[in-house]
Amino acid sequence: MAGRRAEEEYDYLFKVVLIGDSGVGKSNLLSRFTRNEFCLESKSTIGVEFATRTLHVEGKIIKAQIWDTAGQERYRAITSAYYRGALGAVLVYDVSKPTTFENISRWLKELRDHADSNIRIMLVGNKTDLRHLRAVATEDAQNFAEAEGLSYIETSALEATNVEEAFQLILGDIYRAISKKPVVSDDSGAGAAGGVKEGKTINVAPGDAGAEKKQCCST
Amino acid sequence: MDKKKAIDDTEPGPAPSRGVDRFGFIKPEQSNSPDGLPKGKSIQEREREERRIRKWRKMIGVGGSDWKHYVRRNPHVVKRRIRKGIPDCLRGLVWQLISGSRDLLLLNPGVYETLVIYETSASELEIIRDISRTFPSHIFFQQRHGPGQRSLYNILKAYSVYDRDVGYVQGMGFLAGLLLLYMSEEDAFWLLVALLKGAVHAPMEGLYQAGLPLVQQYLSQFEKLVMEHMPKLGQHFVEEMINPSMYASQWFITVFSYSFPFHLTLRVWDVFLYEGIKVVFQVGLALLRFCHDDLIKLPFEQLLHALRNFPEEATDPDVLLPIAFTFKVSSRLEELQKEYQKGPEGSSETSTSKRHQPLISKTMSRVGSRVISNLISDKK
Ligand SMILES: Nc1nc2c(ncn2[C@@H]2O[C@H](COP(=O)(O)OP(=O)(O)O)[C@@H](O)[C@H]2O)c(=O)[nH]1
Ligand SMILES: [Mg+2]
Repeated sequence: MAGRRAEEEYDYLFKVVLIGDSGVGKSNLLSRFTRNEFCLESKSTIGVEFATRTLHVEGKIIKAQIWDTAGQERYRAITSAYYRGALGAVLVYDVSKPTTFENISRWLKELRDHADSNIRIMLVGNKTDLRHLRAVATEDAQNFAEAEGLSYIETSALEATNVEEAFQLILGDIYRAISKKPVVSDDSGAGAAGGVKEGKTINVAPGDAGAEKKQCCST
Repeated sequence: MDKKKAIDDTEPGPAPSRGVDRFGFIKPEQSNSPDGLPKGKSIQEREREERRIRKWRKMIGVGGSDWKHYVRRNPHVVKRRIRKGIPDCLRGLVWQLISGSRDLLLLNPGVYETLVIYETSASELEIIRDISRTFPSHIFFQQRHGPGQRSLYNILKAYSVYDRDVGYVQGMGFLAGLLLLYMSEEDAFWLLVALLKGAVHAPMEGLYQAGLPLVQQYLSQFEKLVMEHMPKLGQHFVEEMINPSMYASQWFITVFSYSFPFHLTLRVWDVFLYEGIKVVFQVGLALLRFCHDDLIKLPFEQLLHALRNFPEEATDPDVLLPIAFTFKVSSRLEELQKEYQKGPEGSSETSTSKRHQPLISKTMSRVGSRVISNLISDKK
């Protein structure tokens, strides 16, 4: 019973989307974070996948509801609907593949077009275990992130390096952003937090996202 | 003749090596899940199975010579037998006959080779990236740069050249991979063409064209069918803000080949190739119907999880397909398609109007357009 309660009771529910080019390791970052699993031979993601994990962030119990998306450009027709109402976006590239880093600005544009304007964004350079293949310098990514106002971290889903930290970072970032804003404790923010209705949820209506909450995920 | 990788369940071929199921998928460690067949078959069962294969062989004739004739005279017998499942040892051949791909192949000698050898594709890197992520647990596709992976790459590259508009889209690999387990590379390529360009049924290339127009249409049609056939569940989905794109996109994009038990996938494909896409709707509805009473109680998260992880009982083809066939959806699907194309949502005019014209695509490669016009003249 205690375990179940721990799963279900939380202070905040944050919807986060995982985006970035195909093959950079989004699905494995997610499985590492939510199930502590890694798979060298995972299937490519078709459409969207979904997973959650509840954890402590800054003394609060946060339930992270994470939407993993197919990275191929063609799939944005389906996946971009999932940006709506997301409080955070984890934008992943592969440190051994420069093109996946170059495409980051296109992904940012994509977010500006489809996501709520106050969405928190974190840039993640994944696959740091491929040391001899590194092709994107930490400094370049850091500078880019700074210029764009994103938080930045490097991870390895394979070695489980910084994965926990990465999600702590974005969730903490979201928490700090919303705790400066008025908090609504009824159901009205459900859509904004990702189309979820749950009893004890304290949801957050993040300013201008409120207007769009009913359209969440409708295509 | 046919490069057959699947281990047949009726012919006493070589016993599958340990750790691999009868279709060639590597078994997860100490799994005790049945792979669709009871372990020991009784003598009666074996005899019945052999009678069934003899009937099928008679129906097909040598190399498929009698097939067209038989279908014309007894379409309902054929339909009934296909719904019961095509014998695995004849599957590859029958699939080619019912999909129209045999005719395409014969009409286009040498074309596939040209596409593979002489053309280059803008999608090559994208294809390569996904090769090892397609049926990664099947022995045929496991070996890096092995024959399975090479064939898969060739087909996908050839198609991306054949229709440069579509190019390569994630999900196509699962169709191609599935076909490769039952036929040669060239045969599989033409079957893919037959499906996407619409040799027998409505073309499915809209699943993969820019904007994924056909995925959007199918999802919208499916949502309405759920509401009509299972109004309580439909209402529950609305209340929980569950929408079919969250669980059913891959049903349509890969025709159930992405995440369902393989023996179910095959049975769905038997019917799909003969009767068309409507079986995907029917099987989708059947899954919901089978789990209806559980699903209706679940809140958002558990609901979504349940919709992506159906229990083993629900994915038994002999249970699921009979339920599926109780849903009569053909005419309603047509109406819903018209509604969708008129409605404000289906506003991508170009792709919707194109959908009605089988075998025509905007800008195809030289080779591609020749193939298509050949096919059209054949049909008239
Ligand atoms: N070396 C290494 N490989 C990784 C890492 N993360 C993912 N991969 C591999 O990269 C490939 C693509 O990963 P996947 O998670 O499916 O990428 P996605 O398309 O972004 O979801 C798979 O073969 C993974 O095993 C990592 O941190 N290090
Ligand atoms: Mg993925």
